[in-house]
Amino acid sequence: MVEVRQKRALSGKIPALKRATFLRNVDTRLLILNADPVFEDRALTMIETMEGVEKHVVRTLAEAVSVLIGENFDAFVVEGPAALALEQATNARQHFPSLKITCLLSERPAEESATAAEQQNIGMILNSHGSNRVYRGLAKFVGSLDKRAGTAAEGVDPCHSLIGNLNQFSAAEILQMSCLSQRSGRFTFKSSRGNSEIYLQHGSVRHAIYGSLEGEAAVAEIFRWRQGRFYFEEGIISQVQTVDRPWPHLLIDNLQKFDETLELAGG
Amino acid sequence: MRDRELEKKLRLLELQLENWKKLHDLITYGLDKAKPIISSEQERQFTELRAYLLQETEHILRELGVLADLSGKTMNVLQRGVSIRAVRELPNEEVRRLETEWNAVFTKLGVVQGQLKARRKKLAGQTIFAYYADRLMRRTAPAH
Repeated sequence: MVEVRQKRALSGKIPALKRATFLRNVDTRLLILNADPVFEDRALTMIETMEGVEKHVVRTLAEAVSVLIGENFDAFVVEGPAALALEQATNARQHFPSLKITCLLSERPAEESATAAEQQNIGMILNSHGSNRVYRGLAKFVGSLDKRAGTAAEGVDPCHSLIGNLNQFSAAEILQMSCLSQRSGRFTFKSSRGNSEIYLQHGSVRHAIYGSLEGEAAVAEIFRWRQGRFYFEEGIISQVQTVDRPWPHLLIDNLQKFDETLELAGG
Repeated sequence: MRDRELEKKLRLLELQLENWKKLHDLITYGLDKAKPIISSEQERQFTELRAYLLQETEHILRELGVLADLSGKTMNVLQRGVSIRAVRELPNEEVRRLETEWNAVFTKLGVVQGQLKARRKKLAGQTIFAYYADRLMRRTAPAH
């Protein structure tokens, strides 16, 4: 049925407005952190009624980080008491800079915590409001999740001088190899999380871009990818420069950050 | 179409099964003949799992309508497995009983999960109108 509706939507047999809403909500994946998903399940019950939303529930932040390293989610929802939920969300933000995060708070947070969360691009929904209001807040959040491009499949192009899979070689490994051999060109990484590009010039990272992230933040994000494909095109140079630091510094910093993430996932 | 009650049951069942499988992993580790070291972290995980299962089992099994069938067996497993170390020291007969009861609960929960997923699949292909029309058509005629 879903496939039929999807085909109809794509072939234009349903009105544009409905089509937009429908397509936006197809298979949105949410990771939900809830310490007591059996007895404190008000928001979970609401999310369950949303069409096209797939959820994965975890009970601890360590579990959440471990799941986020391995799988791709459109957003991370942290549910619980204000202070704890905001702390967990802030913690997750350190490790996943581009992830959409929102908190479902059981009470109004302290003003400074709320300001800090806003600065870190963490959304907040008060779970103590009436059901309709909470539902509207959740639906708005889910509706705002723009679907990134799925896994891209491209053929072997003669201008790609290096092609491979990230599950065999990590981004850190291939960048290290290319930087050591003083390469200049563009690396394109394609995964279910989206596409990203890293430009090298004479063995240094000059520019990196991933969605709205640029520079070192984009490099840090790509370092965490463990699935997807990459290819290198020799000789494509970026006019823009968003990364200033030498490659060894970037490498050490990002590997250290990733180790911290793994440590957190290990509990 | 999505049925709120059905989705809730599936969520509860998934949570219960996940913890039940994790419990099995730790029990199996404890019973490993090579006798690896049991760390305090593993014992902590085991206790945490038991705590979740002890407080949630009755509620979940009641929601799923299998409380009478599974409550006794589940409690037996949780009461016998005090800790990973205690499981390791259980006599063979007790270990077999523990495994049989764990498996009985796991099997039943798996069957129920399959049934609920089949219902969800059927519902996904229906509109609200079709669902209620179907229910109306299935209503038996009153006996005269």
